[in-house]
Order: sequence, then C-alpha cells, then structure tokens
Amino acid sequence: MDNRRPARIHRFRPALITQADDALPDYMNLMGMIFSMCSLMLKIKWCAWVAIFAALVGFANSRTSDDAKQVLSSFMLSISAVVVTYMQNPAPMTIPFMQ
Amino acid sequence: MRSSTILIYFLLCYVCSIVKTIKDEDFSEFDDFDQDEFVIETPSSTSAPPPSSSSKTQSNKLESTNDENIPQSKLTETQDDEVSIDDDDDAMFDEEEFETSDLFSSSTSSPDFKITEVPANLTGNRWEAYYCEAIMMIALLGYLIHFLIGRTKNSQLATIIYNSQRDLLERNFALVGDNGQTRNTQSSDEQINTMHKESENLYILWCSGRISMDSMLIELRFIKRQCLFNSLAALIKSINDTIVYTIDYGKDDMDTFVFCLARKRCAAKLHRDMNDLSQFCAERKNADKKGLSSNYQLLSELGEVSSAIIDTRVAEFMDKFPDAVEYIHISDQYTGMKGQNGDQQTPSTSSTNTGSAAQQQDALNISERSVRRVLIIAFNLISYKDRSLQVSCENLSSDYLRFVLYLIDRVSSFRLTSKDSKMKAIKNRQRIDEQFLKNVNQQRQEQAQQRREEQRRAEKEKIMQSDDPELQRKWEEKEHKREMKRRQPKMKQMKIKAM
Repeated sequence: MDNRRPARIHRFRPALITQADDALPDYMNLMGMIFSMCSLMLKIKWCAWVAIFAALVGFANSRTSDDAKQVLSSFMLSISAVVVTYMQNPAPMTIPFMQ
Repeated sequence: MRSSTILIYFLLCYVCSIVKTIKDEDFSEFDDFDQDEFVIETPSSTSAPPPSSSSKTQSNKLESTNDENIPQSKLTETQDDEVSIDDDDDAMFDEEEFETSDLFSSSTSSPDFKITEVPANLTGNRWEAYYCEAIMMIALLGYLIHFLIGRTKNSQLATIIYNSQRDLLERNFALVGDNGQTRNTQSSDEQINTMHKESENLYILWCSGRISMDSMLIELRFIKRQCLFNSLAALIKSINDTIVYTIDYGKDDMDTFVFCLARKRCAAKLHRDMNDLSQFCAERKNADKKGLSSNYQLLSELGEVSSAIIDTRVAEFMDKFPDAVEYIHISDQYTGMKGQNGDQQTPSTSSTNTGSAAQQQDALNISERSVRRVLIIAFNLISYKDRSLQVSCENLSSDYLRFVLYLIDRVSSFRLTSKDSKMKAIKNRQRIDEQFLKNVNQQRQEQAQQRREEQRRAEKEKIMQSDDPELQRKWEEKEHKREMKRRQPKMKQMKIKAM
C-alpha cells in the first residue's frame, strides 16, 4: 500500500526547528571584540591572542544561518590586534600572573 | 655572546677607573691629610702616599669587599708606613683600578654607568624568547585540528544515518528534503544526497506528503565535536547524540490528549519546562505498571491513553533497545517550552517585520491559542555490543524509523472511547482557554492604561511648554475633575444597590 500523498505536501518553515538556547557564538564574538579593543588600547599582548581564540571558538559554534560577515570581521579584528600590538612592541609576551 | 658581554664589562670598568682618577686629581687639594700615616716609618713597603690618603681611607672601606685587595688593604690600615709617592705610583694605580671596580660593584656610591639588561629577544637565539607565543600558536592549531576532525566525524555520521533511512523515507513520503526556498518541491539531486546542515552539530531533513499526517522533521542533534571545550564537557556530562522526529498532524488526524513517556533523567525537566505537560498532566508515574523498565516515567492527561499507546509492539521495541528511547511526547496542545514562545505568539506573526509594539498588538488580537498537534520521539544514538557508533547507527536507524512510522499510524488511528475521558479532555481545554483569554484581557487593559498615561504626559508637556498660566489652570482643573469622577461612581453604585 502506497502511503504517499502528493496533495498533502507542506513546505518547510525554518521556524519549526526547535530553538536552541545556545548563545555561545554571540558571547564569543563579543569577547573577541572586547579583548581586541583591550589589546589595541592598553597594549596587552595576551589579550590579542585570547581574542583570536574567542573568534575561533565563535566560528566553530556558529550556525549556518548566521551571517558569515560577523564571524569574519571578528577574525580580522583579532588578527589586526595581534599585528598592531607586536609592531608597537616586538618584545616577547609576558603573562602577568606567571611572573 | 658571553665574551662580548665580558668585554663590554671590562671596557666600562676601565672607563670608570679613568673617570675616578680624573676626579681624584681635580679634588686632591680638598683631601684631608692624616699626619700619622705619613710620619711613622715602617719596614714594609706597601703603603699609600699622603696625597691620596683620603681617597685611600675611603677606598679602604670599600676594598674590604674585594678579595684580591683585602690583604693589601689590611696591611695599609694596620701598618703606619712611610709613604713614598714615587715608588708606589703603579701599585697605587693598580689599587685604585681595583678600588674603582669595588666602587662599581658596590651599590653604596651613585653609579655613573648602569649595565642595563639586554632583552632576551635581542641577544643570542631570538626565537627562544617567544615561547609564550609558540604555546599560543600550538593551542590555536590544536583547536583548529580538533575542529576539522570533529566536523568530519559529525558529517560522516549524518551521511550514514541518511543513507540507511533514505529508501524507507522515499517509499513513505512524497517529498523528502526541502529547504523551503526553492520554487518547486521537486528537489534537485543535491538536496536528496545529504541532509541539510543547520550547524556543524545539527542536521535536519524535512519530509512531507503522507497519509494521516502533515509533515515530519528529522533532526540529528550531535555532540559538538567541532568545539574542543564542548566535547570535553560532553565526556564529563555523558551527553549522547540524539535523533529527534517531530511529526505535525492536521486538525482531524489525531484526538485530543496529552501524553509523555520519558526517561527519569529528562521526565522532570519536560514536566517543568513544557507548557502543555505542566498544564494538562498532574503527576509523573513510574512505567513499571505498564510493563516497561523502571527507568521510564509516564505523564498522561487521561488514563485510557497510556494503555492504548503502550501496546505490545512498543513494549517489544523498548525491551530490544533498552536505552534507545529518550522520550515520546504526544500532544494536541503543543506550544513549546515555557518562556521561549508565549502562548499568544504564532510562528506566522513572528515573520513580519513590524515593530515589537505592533507584534504585541497582533498577538493580543488573537482570540485563540496557537497550538500544534505533534508527536515527538527522541532516540539516543549509542553504540551497542562493542561496535563503533557509526556501525551501530547504520544498523539501528532504519529500525528506529520503522518504529516511528508505526507510532504515527497508531496515534492517528486512536480515538478516545470512554465518555469520561472525552469530557475531562474538553473541560481541561476550556479551563486553559479561559486562563489564556484572561491573560490576554489583562494585557490589553494594561496596554490601554499605558497609552492613556502617555497621552496625558504628552498633553502636560505641551501645556507646560506653552507658558500660558490660564491653559495650565484649565488643564489642572480637568485633571481634578477626572480624579473626582473616578472616585465617585463606586460610591454612587453602592447607594443605588442599597436602595
């Protein structure tokens, strides 16, 4: 017995996907931006590296429907933070609590 | 590198000694001479000349730190020798040379030259100094590699599950795979081959066009293997991959009841968080009485439903795959989780681009709750009998799908038989509808009050800005009259009733 009924076809609606409460990619993007700003303004090297990490984690957890531009801008900002911080002071990084 | 530092050190010492001698010669006239040093004759020859005696006394104190000059300095201090200036010039010069090194090494006098520490990245092997950066780079690379491996694993699992279920789906559904964007429902080859990737750990497949139901959404919710931190957390919390089938029924496809069979670990959570389960199901019961394992709990609005749904076929499946079923949720009053989507908002209104106030207005204008008739089944994807997860998924996913298809037909064919159950169901729904309407009315009233207050504030501001005292007086009188009217009618009504 054929159970198929072409007349009963309904189109897919994205709203029917169960909403995940995962806000991790948004938090990671925000953290990336904050750490990049800290590293650029306060000239702290480890902040720049943490910003790259945050951008990477945000990218890994992002949804396909999310705008790729935001993830890319987060990456670009963190990489520019690292480059600018090292151009200002080429000395090696020192972690404050390790000294 | 070390020889260069030593050379620099000696050069600086030499320069300091020269500076010191120049200083001593300049200020030699101010030196205080100790006569005793010069008058008394002693046989020993090692002694300092009178002109430099002050410097000698000064240097003698400092010489005590220098190992080479200690014997000489002691001799000069203890013995009162006759000093001949000419003979001991070289010795004096040598002493002073060593004295200046003492001066230089001691911290008591103010140093003219400081040997600053050369940064590690400019001396020797420069790259060794950047060990922190190397650690960060390795950590980033490690995360990236883990991301790629995790993503590939999830993608492979999705492909395996899809391939094992594809035939059965195509035999049962007219439409398999739809992203909702193409004009025609006749999907291209690209859509059929894989499931739609919603994120690196969420794959979906939309199926529609079958008897007794509207649509089915298959969601593969994997562990976030692409993120290192999430996969570690999954290990600690022992989270499984799950496959969730969400079936939407039409209006006449299912009867009115709410039922849930869930594992203990998620039964409490569902009872608390799901709107319909908390409103319609009073308590949780153990599933022992229905012949299932004690791991499961039942939430049912009507007693008749549990025995009808949990029949022999379901019991056999649960015995064969003990931990496979996570929960089965059947409801004709499904509105999602508490706090996520309110009872008033519908999916269709949320797609409009109007402001939030207008959306609220639209929501409040609806007189009925928007409910869905659903059957939701969640399975755990776990490896059985020491096989890998991929092999287990390949073997079991078609069994899961057959069970789902059986349940779809069972739910759509089931109708409540006893009148009591029907009356109870109708009463419950009426009660919930009344509560909903009360809430809506309350919110409408609050909104209307807010609007009135805003209008009054706007009027007040206009009148205050106009700087016309007469207008202000008139407005204040109006306000006073309004307040009196508000208070008075209640009193009047009371009087009339008493009469």
